[in-house]
Amino acid sequence: MQQILKSAITDIRAAIAFRRVWIALAAEDIGDQHRRTTLGPLWLLINYLLFAATFIFLFNPNPADHTYPVYVATGLLVWYYLMEALSLAAGLFQREESFIRGTTLPISTYVMRTALQCLIRAGYGFVGCVIILVISGVVPTWSWLGALPGLALVILVTPAFIAIFAFAGVWFPDSQFLVGNFMRVGMFITPVFWSGAGEGGLRGFLYYFNPFTYFLEIARQPIVDGTIPWSALGLCAFITALCWVLALYLLGRFRRQVALIL
Amino acid sequence: MVAISVHNLGLTYELREKLSLAARDKRLPQAGGIISGNRRRRYVTALDDVSFELVAGDRLGLVGSNGAGKTTLLKVLYGIYEPTAGRVGITGRVDALFNIDLGFRQEATGRRNIVLRGLINGWTMAEIDARMDEIVGFSELGEFIDLPFKSYSQGMAARLAFAIATSLEPEILLMDEWIGAGDASFQEKAQQRMQRLADHAGIVVLASHQNDLIARTCNKVLELEHGRVRRFCSIAEYLTG
Repeated sequence: MQQILKSAITDIRAAIAFRRVWIALAAEDIGDQHRRTTLGPLWLLINYLLFAATFIFLFNPNPADHTYPVYVATGLLVWYYLMEALSLAAGLFQREESFIRGTTLPISTYVMRTALQCLIRAGYGFVGCVIILVISGVVPTWSWLGALPGLALVILVTPAFIAIFAFAGVWFPDSQFLVGNFMRVGMFITPVFWSGAGEGGLRGFLYYFNPFTYFLEIARQPIVDGTIPWSALGLCAFITALCWVLALYLLGRFRRQVALIL
Repeated sequence: MVAISVHNLGLTYELREKLSLAARDKRLPQAGGIISGNRRRRYVTALDDVSFELVAGDRLGLVGSNGAGKTTLLKVLYGIYEPTAGRVGITGRVDALFNIDLGFRQEATGRRNIVLRGLINGWTMAEIDARMDEIVGFSELGEFIDLPFKSYSQGMAARLAFAIATSLEPEILLMDEWIGAGDASFQEKAQQRMQRLADHAGIVVLASHQNDLIARTCNKVLELEHGRVRRFCSIAEYLTG
């Protein structure tokens, strides 16, 4: 086990040394995706705003509730980020096969490239979120700072999520389609634009037994309610630690085998 | 002093059946080798008990039929595959010319692609800057260097790939076939550079099916068959059979 951990850490340290590679490639990825368009990456902002506006204007259960736009904007920001990370992760090593079989770049390089790409894309969503918060007229308070540990946890868990799903995709190539479909459905069964807090039945079940709920709430609740969801933070910290243990195991155990298995 | 020392090298891995709803993939693994085991667990022995030693000045020709293990051995020496048995000792900086077209971005300019390929090769920005003019000059791309890669003809793309890939001063050079690029006039220039690279490298390991190339370039030959060493000898012994 010690050997596996050592191998994983060696790979991560090598990826840190190669940080210029994944930073450059992540930036190129974003640029390439919008290179021929007039608005470029601003489409990411427009996409976010369109989705948020749809939910805000069509699904608001109580139009008098001025916190609903804030609820949707913050929830959608985190959901979009996680959805993209997981969707890209499942086919990651297949997409990078020629690099993996042709260079000595550490496996973590591909994980970090994807994580950074998602973070950059989320940056445009973040701008959209700020725009909605300003338009909705909410006044920033010090309690909003309580969202920072939550956002930090969301960002911290992302490389682990990506590594786990990327390794799963090596042995189960169909997983990229399963994950893609699940994440599309997941948007509706996760409380992105609805809330099931305190409710029973199916909504309550989907709210409380969905781990994504807690990753959304740790970033959302301090802004919407002005309180810090300590129990959700604790649960997310536990899930994050668990995911990292699994990611480190997979990385240490299988990083050298990926090139042979692909 | 550069050196390569390989003792009882083995590379065996489990051929894991991928979980898929699609029809079973009957293709053999790309690394080649011998498949053993039963229906439940199958193993591929890509390299088995390979031993040889090279010292500064050696030019090793790797020969053998397709699937003999030549490319696999090169990739083990480069560090892409990790051996499962034996020992590989390498003293000196290893550079490889495998797939020189790898990773070019269509939308980026030639200059940006040089930077990206340099970073992937592990060069520092200072090294990339220092080599930039030489690469641009050698590739003969002129003002095209600041246009997107997608606007290049096949010949231009090949010249840029070749110029970047060979812009190195390797202590140990691994090659999977001798590479060339471009039109007839560039081919000659490319041949000269390849020869200079091979001459200046401390050790060259060249996998090829071309016996005349092996005879011209190498002083030793390692012949592989089903992942095992068939013979390791001087070029003279190899040529005389």
